[in-house]
Amino acid sequence: MKKVLTFVTVLLFVFALAGCTSDDGVVTIGANIYTFNDNFMNGVVRPELESYAQELGVEIDIVDSEGSQATLNNQVDTFISKGVDVLVINLVDPAAAGTIIDKAKDADIPLILFNKEATVSGVMDTYDKVWYVGTDSAEAGIIQGEMMVADWQANADWDLNGDGKVQYVLLKGEPGHPDAEARTVEAVKAFTDAGIEVEELAIQPSTTWSTTEAGDTMAAWLTTAYADEIELVISNNDGMAFGAIQAMTNASYDIPIYGVDALEEALAKIGTGDLNGTVLNDGVNQARATLDLAVNAANGVDVLDGTDWVLDSETETKAVRVSYVAVTADNYEDFQ
Amino acid sequence: MRNIIDSLKSKFKLGNGEQKKISEILLNNAIYFIIGGIVLFIIISEPTFLSLSVAKNILTQSSVRLILALGVGGIIILQGTDLSLGKNVGFSAIITASFLQSFSYGARFYSTLPDWVWNVNSLGEVIGFQWFFYILVLLVAMIVSAFFSAINGLVVAHFKVHPFLATLGGSVALYGILLLYFNTSDAGPQPIGSLDSTYSSFVGIWHVFGMEIPLLVVYSVIITGVMWVVWNKTTFGKNMFAVGGNPEAAKISGVNVIRTTVMVYILAGLLYGIGGYLEAARVGSANSAFGLNYELDAIAACVVGGISFSGGIGKISGAVAGVLMFTVITYGMVYLGIDAYYQYIIKGTIIVAAVALDTRKYIKKT
Repeated sequence: MKKVLTFVTVLLFVFALAGCTSDDGVVTIGANIYTFNDNFMNGVVRPELESYAQELGVEIDIVDSEGSQATLNNQVDTFISKGVDVLVINLVDPAAAGTIIDKAKDADIPLILFNKEATVSGVMDTYDKVWYVGTDSAEAGIIQGEMMVADWQANADWDLNGDGKVQYVLLKGEPGHPDAEARTVEAVKAFTDAGIEVEELAIQPSTTWSTTEAGDTMAAWLTTAYADEIELVISNNDGMAFGAIQAMTNASYDIPIYGVDALEEALAKIGTGDLNGTVLNDGVNQARATLDLAVNAANGVDVLDGTDWVLDSETETKAVRVSYVAVTADNYEDFQ
Repeated sequence: MRNIIDSLKSKFKLGNGEQKKISEILLNNAIYFIIGGIVLFIIISEPTFLSLSVAKNILTQSSVRLILALGVGGIIILQGTDLSLGKNVGFSAIITASFLQSFSYGARFYSTLPDWVWNVNSLGEVIGFQWFFYILVLLVAMIVSAFFSAINGLVVAHFKVHPFLATLGGSVALYGILLLYFNTSDAGPQPIGSLDSTYSSFVGIWHVFGMEIPLLVVYSVIITGVMWVVWNKTTFGKNMFAVGGNPEAAKISGVNVIRTTVMVYILAGLLYGIGGYLEAARVGSANSAFGLNYELDAIAACVVGGISFSGGIGKISGAVAGVLMFTVITYGMVYLGIDAYYQYIIKGTIIVAAVALDTRKYIKKT
């Protein structure tokens, strides 16, 4: 009994403290990153969210969802009970958007989803104050594919066995991740669309997009019977490409390799010729668009008010899509 | 099966009365036979697997894992476990990479380092770090890792917190510290790459007598040797086995249980520090996810190699065998192009089977 009383007292105390957040007119944003382990989300998007929020004069609280949708659900509950003005959410599981949208709707708080798009169709229409800022998952793959096709056509000597087909290996990333799945399909489709035949020699997923795992996998591939037939390495992100490049250096191979994300390190590797190309996932503009929409939504004005962003009207009217940019040896210096 | 037993019998010149013994040998070493079977399967499906380059890669990929397994192996002998291994390795790797980035790289973690660390040639160009700085960074990585591991050891030994929980908590807290450090980067929380070429060459190839020996293998052989001596030939090693086998008895016979436990954790921490230092060079970059799940690989390898979770039992050779088998299987499955989903199932099954067989062995003994 004594324990229960103590517990209740502590709870009351905590609630009393939580209730103290005074509304001083400054917009407060409750935000998350699906996992701080993601180089791109943690290294590019989060710093920009923080610095741009400062620039806009709004308060932002960014939490780590540790790759768990359940954790994120709890964090959203906490944000709502704290009384934030707007939720800025990076879904862990794109299929769980409905739960988050319902929570926001019940609390009547505007919601901006960013970077990971709801995969359930129609779920965005269930609430009038939810918007999405991100990219088109397929686009990165398409751009990466076009880049590879152009380079392939310009370098006849890349076709090692001269059979006109592209023999490739692919580092996929997290199975089921919309980006991993879309990039895998689109990057290859670019070749077939251009009338070039492809042959997949091997494909390996990595649930953590791990540089180490990708390196070990590449090292293994380079000892197989088909090692000398590999003409192209497609990596669905830069981090895994780094591992593969290291493995190639160790085994004295120099196979064309492409990544996605345009991390600083990737730009440096394009400079040294280790990496042939990457695709800029424009994290800075994603972060800026996200906050612009969030602040407008919190202030109750039209989300696009005073911004240059446009809603992607082709498919739906509640998404702002930031474009990907191809980065090669010709233009990498522009992004450094 | 009968044929195998018969041939084994004739080989060892055993009579029928000793048949039971042979089946016992088979059972006790069942996990080795199962894994041997898998390796045989890999070789039959893809004979090219038996090549020098494959062997070299497998040994290289095993090296750091072995160093880590030897660290956590000691803790397992104490009836413990260490879930913070991965984060310790990750933190060591991040610390190492953050200091040893190439001078020419623009977005360094430390955009400025004091002049005395750089090695400058006669033309005034920076050509790398001073030799002692490479050692200094290694020492820093080892000390930091040993420090956090020592805290785990103290919590376990002094406050009697179960190692699973102590190191789980330690791991979560350490992750926070790791992220704090990672975020202090002058270039923002980016993967730390473009490492110094001299540092990278530490894990390169050693050309000797016309052979190409991966340096990582040399390091792990040396460390394995040192650890063999520590486990088998020192008072500390004997105390470790005594405490692991029966802490009460060890205490009564005059062993300082708390000191021994903390020292085992410190030793493990030192090895994690070395592991992180080498692994960052091998991988070529480090980020906040570095070392993720390494503890599971290392613990699984120890268990498969016969280091018992019930404490007090285990050999260095077991850890070596466990690590090698795991790498061979992982490598072999990628080599054969087996769907990754099946790879997980096979690995998981091997771990459980190993533990089941291991337990059976010791139930029989008592």
